[in-house]
Amino acid sequence: MTFEPKIVGFLCNWCSYAGADKAGASQMQYPPNVNVIRVMCSGRVDPQLVLKSFKAGADGVLILACHPKDCHYKEGNYRAASRNRVLLQLLQQFGIPEERCRFDYVSAGEGERFSKVIGETVEAVRALGPLELQ
Amino acid sequence: MKVGVVFCKCGTAITEKIDADQVQQRLKKLYPDVDFVTVDLACSEGGKEFVEAYLKDKGIDRMVISACSPRDHENTFKGCMHRAGRNPYLMQMVNAREQIAWVTADKVAATDKAVRYLDAAVRRVMLHDKLESKQLDICPDVLIIGAGPAGLKTALTLAESGRKVIIVEKTPVIGGMPVRYEDTFPKMECGPCMLEPIMGDILHGPHSADIELLTMAEVQGVVGSYGNFIVQIKQRPRYVDPHKCIGCGECTAPCPVSTKNPFNYNLDEKKAVGFTFAGALPNSVYIDPEACVRFKGESCQLCKDACPVEGAFVFDDKERVLERNVGAIAVMIGSEVYDCSRIPNLGYGKFPEVYNSVEFERILSSTGPTSGEIKSRTGKPPENVAIVHCVGSLDSKHKDYCSSVCCQAAFKFSHLIDKRVPTAKITHFFKELVVPGKEEFHLFHEAQNNTKTKLIRYGSIEELKVSGSGERISMEHPNGKGATEKTIFDMVVLCPAMIPAEDTAKVGKLLELTQDKAGFFDEMHGRMDSSLSKVKGVCLAGTCQAPGDIQRSINQGLAAAGTILSGLVPGRKLEIDPIKASVDAARCSGCRVCNSVCPYKAISFDPAKKISHVNEVLCMGCGTCVAACPVGVIKGNHFSNQEIMAEIDGVLS
Ligand SMILES: Cc1cc2nc3c(=O)[nH]c(=O)nc-3n(C[C@H](O)[C@H](O)[C@H](O)COP(=O)(O)OP(=O)(O)OC[C@H]3O[C@@H](n4cnc5c(N)ncnc54)[C@H](O)[C@@H]3O)c2cc1C
Ligand code: SF4
Ligand code: SF4
Ligand code: FES
Repeated sequence: MTFEPKIVGFLCNWCSYAGADKAGASQMQYPPNVNVIRVMCSGRVDPQLVLKSFKAGADGVLILACHPKDCHYKEGNYRAASRNRVLLQLLQQFGIPEERCRFDYVSAGEGERFSKVIGETVEAVRALGPLELQ
Repeated sequence: MKVGVVFCKCGTAITEKIDADQVQQRLKKLYPDVDFVTVDLACSEGGKEFVEAYLKDKGIDRMVISACSPRDHENTFKGCMHRAGRNPYLMQMVNAREQIAWVTADKVAATDKAVRYLDAAVRRVMLHDKLESKQLDICPDVLIIGAGPAGLKTALTLAESGRKVIIVEKTPVIGGMPVRYEDTFPKMECGPCMLEPIMGDILHGPHSADIELLTMAEVQGVVGSYGNFIVQIKQRPRYVDPHKCIGCGECTAPCPVSTKNPFNYNLDEKKAVGFTFAGALPNSVYIDPEACVRFKGESCQLCKDACPVEGAFVFDDKERVLERNVGAIAVMIGSEVYDCSRIPNLGYGKFPEVYNSVEFERILSSTGPTSGEIKSRTGKPPENVAIVHCVGSLDSKHKDYCSSVCCQAAFKFSHLIDKRVPTAKITHFFKELVVPGKEEFHLFHEAQNNTKTKLIRYGSIEELKVSGSGERISMEHPNGKGATEKTIFDMVVLCPAMIPAEDTAKVGKLLELTQDKAGFFDEMHGRMDSSLSKVKGVCLAGTCQAPGDIQRSINQGLAAAGTILSGLVPGRKLEIDPIKASVDAARCSGCRVCNSVCPYKAISFDPAKKISHVNEVLCMGCGTCVAACPVGVIKGNHFSNQEIMAEIDGVLS
């Protein structure tokens, strides 16, 4: 049986979550492995929540934000992007390869892009195999 | 606590992919105490009634609703909760349609995913707080800073709907830039005349009792936030009671002091007592204390002696500091023009016959230094005039942007020179020509079709080199045929870039407004909300937000008035959504990290207690501070760490 990775996806309400809805409205089919958690803004995604996801059994984490300049709250996505660099270092310390955590941008209109990002993420994490935390 | 799961079939849109019976069975195993019910179309009238009745009959106080996207119907179902007497925040929606049924090919996988999402939602909803939205009293009055066309139109519109308005204007006159123009493009209407009906109504119209006009005044402090600002206004002494002065001007002739007239850009002189220009409103003289000899210890009172009105002069007038309570603030402080001496090859400031556009407006004006006669400083009408467009605009060495009005002002100048000095030849030097709109092209075509007028494109402003001695100035310039020529001009008019007004940074600091790269105030959104600043309750209009013409400034002022009227309604309270951040004061370390990350400047630091505090009127609930606090003591309502972590456990179980 092929390995089915478990992935947690943090989506901001205004762009990326709306992009996911757009993919839905267009009935684009994508793998069911990404479990979406809606937050108001990508700025809310605390590194703690990412670590928690891995500890709770996630093999991968996906953080999706509004494109630069498009954040509903002006600059939450800039905070998220700069925090992401720190996050990746933090993951290294816990022995979690950074390829397991993807930060990207999806707009409200990019349904197709959303399903593509989901597909790619699932395949990338699938290729890495299950995460084994020491 | 009784949790109920309502599973909407959405016709067959959801059940085609998700097996409702299986979901119910698997959920029952996980949560035996949780109730489960299916409904056909939860969002229909019948569906909503069903949900309400279900909540009441079964005594359910926390609801998970599996249906479509919360972006569609979260508010619909919050309404059901509310009508059933439940706290609407004790609800969690699962997006089973858009994010499961419609996107998952395999039925088994879709049902599995639905179970995971519902598990997460049940865990989460059990942790939800009973949040309540707050109602705040508001003050419906409005402060307007700047009495140009934008500010005046905004003020009048608000007053006409019964609002109290306070206008703070820095100078002794109202009307802004256009009252300095003899004529305005595109229709060559007289500037002051066009604004006269608005200015007349502000001063003496049916609603003027609701307008407090403070000239020679500036805002010096602002505290509070949307709905309730307290502003401190400093008003300089006028030394004349504007309500008593009848504007006869009898006092000016006897005044022994003459001084440079800043209103005419120092092109002529005015008396220490007088008007900025004839017909200035409010129709009252003022004394310039820098020039008046009384303020240098002399006992002169010639003006007072000449005044026919008792008590109009108030020599012991003092600076006043006023405090006003307002709910919203409209910033409309306009703009100025770029300093042409920063492009030295144009000779501005060196050759007296090189004027900038605002100086030339005064030369054209019948209330200006030459009473509207176009003549050089030697008194002769010009034979050959150069008008230079795009001075400092569209130029990465100066200002990147197009100032949008200069071409039109330049063709307005062309029209007026041609009318008043029919023998004069005119050459326009432009980098780009911009004349958008349905009327604006007329003046351009007129110049284009005029045999005495030439239009020559230049590549870079450095190609124009003004030189000369005494009155004779000449300019080296491209001739439009690929070569360079030198021509003698007796007047050169430069049309510089529009730049933010001198006080932009000062006013911005008082109100915590941000400025864009060019220095103009940042708007909320360039297309959707250009009359709102990024600070709640502070509106913008006119050229302090972006270069533009009178039409744009007035329209933007009207938009600002509309936003204020719909947002602050007398008798209606300001409803504060409870999805906000809050700092646990007892555990805050005072590091101030959160202060800097909040995009709305909603978090302030209390230096006495050494802790941070979130202003719930300003907080928009993004949660950025919650994630940033190094000691984790900021709680994001409805998106707390606990709630999100429960959701994570649920989807991964
Ligand atoms: C040379 C030239 C010619 C133009 N000709 C035309 C034309 O023919 N037709 C046309 O449609 N447009 C024309 N424009 C554009 C027009 O001038 C502007 O669109 C218009 O003035 C903008 O109005 P406003 O209310 O935003 O600002 P302004 O007219 O600049 O008024 C701003 C007001 O705020 C006051 N203020 C400034 N700082 C403070 C402070 N700190 N506190 C209190 N008050 C303050 C100022 O004193 C002023 O009264 C021209 C522009 C230029 C440069
Ligand atoms: S970031 Fe946290 S600890 Fe620091 S000031 Fe803000 S609330 Fe206090
Ligand atoms: S939640 Fe967002 S808007 Fe509210 S205080 Fe925190 S950073 Fe500012
Ligand atoms: S709202 Fe989408 S990133 Fe901020």
